[in-house]
Amino acid sequence: MKFLLPNKYKKIGKIITPLGFAVWISMQFGIHNKLLPFIFDNNSNSELHSNYINMTITIISFFSFLIGMYFITFSKERLEDEMVERTRLESFQFAALVQLVFIIIGFLSMLLYKEPHDSGLLLFFILIILLFWISFISHFYFVLHYKYKNEE
Amino acid sequence: MKNNLKELRLEKELTQVQLAELVNVSRQTIISIETNKYIPSVLLSLKLATILNKKVEQIFQLEITD
Repeated sequence: MKFLLPNKYKKIGKIITPLGFAVWISMQFGIHNKLLPFIFDNNSNSELHSNYINMTITIISFFSFLIGMYFITFSKERLEDEMVERTRLESFQFAALVQLVFIIIGFLSMLLYKEPHDSGLLLFFILIILLFWISFISHFYFVLHYKYKNEE
Repeated sequence: MKNNLKELRLEKELTQVQLAELVNVSRQTIISIETNKYIPSVLLSLKLATILNKKVEQIFQLEITD
């Protein structure tokens, strides 16, 4: 596949994905409320400033997570031979199938139960992207590094 | 499809790593061919046949179920 990134991006992805995810999750659980008062005073101007920084950190951490996942998914193995290529193709097919099932179930549940809110719909689309990458990565590494390794 | 790659490799006194390096694939690929988990392409089959000094059909044989 010509559009794959060099192998070094996989290492970068393995570092920034958990890091970005950890920061993003910690921001969701309000860790920033404990940390930011140490940096900013409690006047109203600083509060605005801290909200701005809070949002910036959240966005940067989430996009680091997404970019890291992209690097892991779309970078070459150390030795990219035909078996790796075939496994990658099968994993893409598996991920596409999982994504399709999720989309169908998601839209059906939206139609049956309630009208989606804007934030719910946004979360749904983010989940669609994440689900594709997560199912691809899990299938690819399971087949390549676990299934075949058991045969040794 | 069955194959006797392992026997022919041992006959040539090659390790899985050495054979993998000669045909430019990973050791895992050789392992999965030997254990019938992976059917190689024509190109890889020809490379293996050349390295082992055998015809492709001497390495790979069709089974009734194929």
